Amino acid sequence: MTVTETDLPLNGIRVFELGIAIASPYCGKLMAHFGADVLKVESQTSPDVVRILGSAWLKDRDDLAAIASDTSPYVSEMNASKRSVGLELKTAEGKAAAMQLLAECDVFLANFGARALVDLGFDYEAVAAVNPDIVYVQLPGFGSNEDLPYYPFVAWGPNQAPLVGMDDFTGHAQDPPAGIATVAPPDYMSALHAAIATITGLEQRDATGEGVHVDISQFETTLALLGPFVMDYELTGTVHTRMGNRSMWGSPQGVYPCSGDERWIAISATEKQDWEALRAVLGSCVDSDFDDPLIRVSAQDRLDEQIAAWTAGFESEDLAGRLQAAGIAAHIVSTNEDLLHDTHVTSRQWYQVAESTRLGRDVFTNSPVKLSRTSGRWTGAGPSMGQHTREVLSEVAGMSAGAIDNLIAVGGAFEQIDPEMTTTRPWEDWIHLLLPGTEDARDL
Amino acid sequence: MSGPYSGLRVVDTTGLAGAYATRLLAGMGADVIRLEPPEGSPLRRLGPFAEGIEPPENSLWWSYLAMGSQSVVIDPEDTESLTKVLAEADVLFEDRLPNTSKLSTQDINPKTIRTRILPFGLTGPKRDWRSSNLIAWAASGILYTTGFTDRAPVAPAAPVQLAYHASAASALVGTLLALRSRRLTGVAQEVEISMQEAALSIAPETGVPMFMDDRVHRERSGNRRDLGRPFGLYPCQDGFVSIIVLMPRHWVAMSQWVAEATDNESIVEEVFADNAVRVEARDLIDDWVEELTQRHTRLELFEEGQRRGIPITPVNTIEALVEDPHLQVADFWQTTSLQDDTEVKIPGAPFRSSSAWWSMTPAPRLGQHTDQYLS
Repeated sequence: MTVTETDLPLNGIRVFELGIAIASPYCGKLMAHFGADVLKVESQTSPDVVRILGSAWLKDRDDLAAIASDTSPYVSEMNASKRSVGLELKTAEGKAAAMQLLAECDVFLANFGARALVDLGFDYEAVAAVNPDIVYVQLPGFGSNEDLPYYPFVAWGPNQAPLVGMDDFTGHAQDPPAGIATVAPPDYMSALHAAIATITGLEQRDATGEGVHVDISQFETTLALLGPFVMDYELTGTVHTRMGNRSMWGSPQGVYPCSGDERWIAISATEKQDWEALRAVLGSCVDSDFDDPLIRVSAQDRLDEQIAAWTAGFESEDLAGRLQAAGIAAHIVSTNEDLLHDTHVTSRQWYQVAESTRLGRDVFTNSPVKLSRTSGRWTGAGPSMGQHTREVLSEVAGMSAGAIDNLIAVGGAFEQIDPEMTTTRPWEDWIHLLLPGTEDARDL
Repeated sequence: MSGPYSGLRVVDTTGLAGAYATRLLAGMGADVIRLEPPEGSPLRRLGPFAEGIEPPENSLWWSYLAMGSQSVVIDPEDTESLTKVLAEADVLFEDRLPNTSKLSTQDINPKTIRTRILPFGLTGPKRDWRSSNLIAWAASGILYTTGFTDRAPVAPAAPVQLAYHASAASALVGTLLALRSRRLTGVAQEVEISMQEAALSIAPETGVPMFMDDRVHRERSGNRRDLGRPFGLYPCQDGFVSIIVLMPRHWVAMSQWVAEATDNESIVEEVFADNAVRVEARDLIDDWVEELTQRHTRLELFEEGQRRGIPITPVNTIEALVEDPHLQVADFWQTTSLQDDTEVKIPGAPFRSSSAWWSMTPAPRLGQHTDQYLS
């Protein structure tokens, strides 16, 4: 096979993914974007949580209940361009078919619990037995070493961030920890590390012929971001913790009110030249002793009050533009409505639209990783559950139509349910507003 | 150094933006050169600082993030030296827009992969805007939804600088893809990361596709959420624990536990099996759960709750993490040596591989390797 300059870096790579929710699926989505054939192996008896979520507008549509599992926005958000293969791994027949697929894959990627993978018979040893040079990447909560104390424990999404210290670091200094309810950094940091490990493993395999087993404990991976705080605790006993929006490295930095209800602006002006620029804008609205950087730090409460009194007179978007024009890092504190009409984001093709068997087309966010020459592709939105079972078993595992029929008949595999049942999202007519070149989506 | 990227030459001219990426590359064997101006990398000015060591060698951020790398000092105007260092580079990490500095205008070897981590990317109306960890979170929708309702919103784990690290890790994914592509085709390319997009990509819950779906304005709700009960942070003897009860079996186990530990017969009543009822009666449920949690420590609740199959975790502080029994048995922690030879504990490898991928050396002194590359 000749490789041309525009071939995607993961062309020809096939990934077997046992993913739930985010950590593994987000990694798989990046792989698919850059050319890999990612097989999302799914179960009807214990489905991916994003299949259970469904979508908000469908809640009262009993007529569409059968296809709710294809309609959560997370299906496309985390699984665009993958193929969905319905296999029941707890059945002997389904497992055998999965092993046939695995023999033809380059990468095994999973964020099932470590014990669940062992119980299913898809631990590294079992997979390597059918595919010795597999790049096997797993993302369990606490690692795959069964001798470790937390091995059997469950931690997912909202529970993982507090475990690894993120919640204790969140909130104003004198308040209880505020928690980080709507973001789960451990999932995504693990996913990014999984992508790094997967590509590294593929390069190693191509160079040496040897596969690799990479164990990404979500606990350990996220802790790798806390180095300086661990060191300072060891050296001085200082327990670094939350400090609002302030910076350890200078002042001012904060979130300040603007005119209107719940309108805020974030400002970072921690360096000397930042202060000079900000002071030129603020004028006499702040005390002149703040020109001393030590006073800016020691009297931050007073400084923040004076800045807040000043920002409160401005409309947030105008003020952000004005401060950035003066060379100061600032941005409105965007709400989800604000993001809808963030024309900077849309101008960069951040929202992508691709074909969906169930929904006609669907929207999801682009890859934050941009490559200039091999810029990636989206072959489809999130797949319908079991949509590609037959084609994958035939084309990849080499199974005959009859064998696939049998496998389905005994409950080892399943296909997309009610393929003729399709619908569109209620906001289908407005999708184009998320694409560059259209008017502001503000009036949606 | 050994490792999968042994022999790869990487030049990092960034501060926090790329540091986590090049730290990982160094840990996996690459020759990472941190190009520093005569006054040192901006990382060297980031506290906390080690006592008894003089600047610019005392920053713990530098001592951690610059591990495994080499320090080459070049005056930013010294084009000749710049050319020399860049000549053999496989990868160049930058955090500046093109044509804004000598370095960014420098012609580089066509085989060099150029990875740029920028506040808002190379294109778009905000391309010239400045950023920071706080600004990236503000522009992602997450900052607005984090915090208590009666207080200003807060960035998630602000001191940790997650927006930078997520950008760096994303940049590394792109860089490794570009290296693979170069190996297969012989042709290099550029990698671009917008910090705003790196933050947006880890924030889909407040993102536009989810908002289009339910049209619910996300707002901050403190450290509990009305998706279920108990759901969020609960005080205990030595801090807080996080409890997420959504599934029926988790509620059964949770209510049994509270009933046994606090002689509460009401909590096991059938009516509370309905999550919607629990959310409606959230104050009552929270009081009952707190009666249990306040009698125990984080670790007691973690171990007993997990034994009962309940999704509960400790809200760990740095101190609790360093003392955590699992991490100790796992032999997670490693050490590095500061410039005065003090040994200090650091987090170990971010993942464990069956092949020998990870090894580290201490961070370099300012200009420690200048002669090696310029003489």
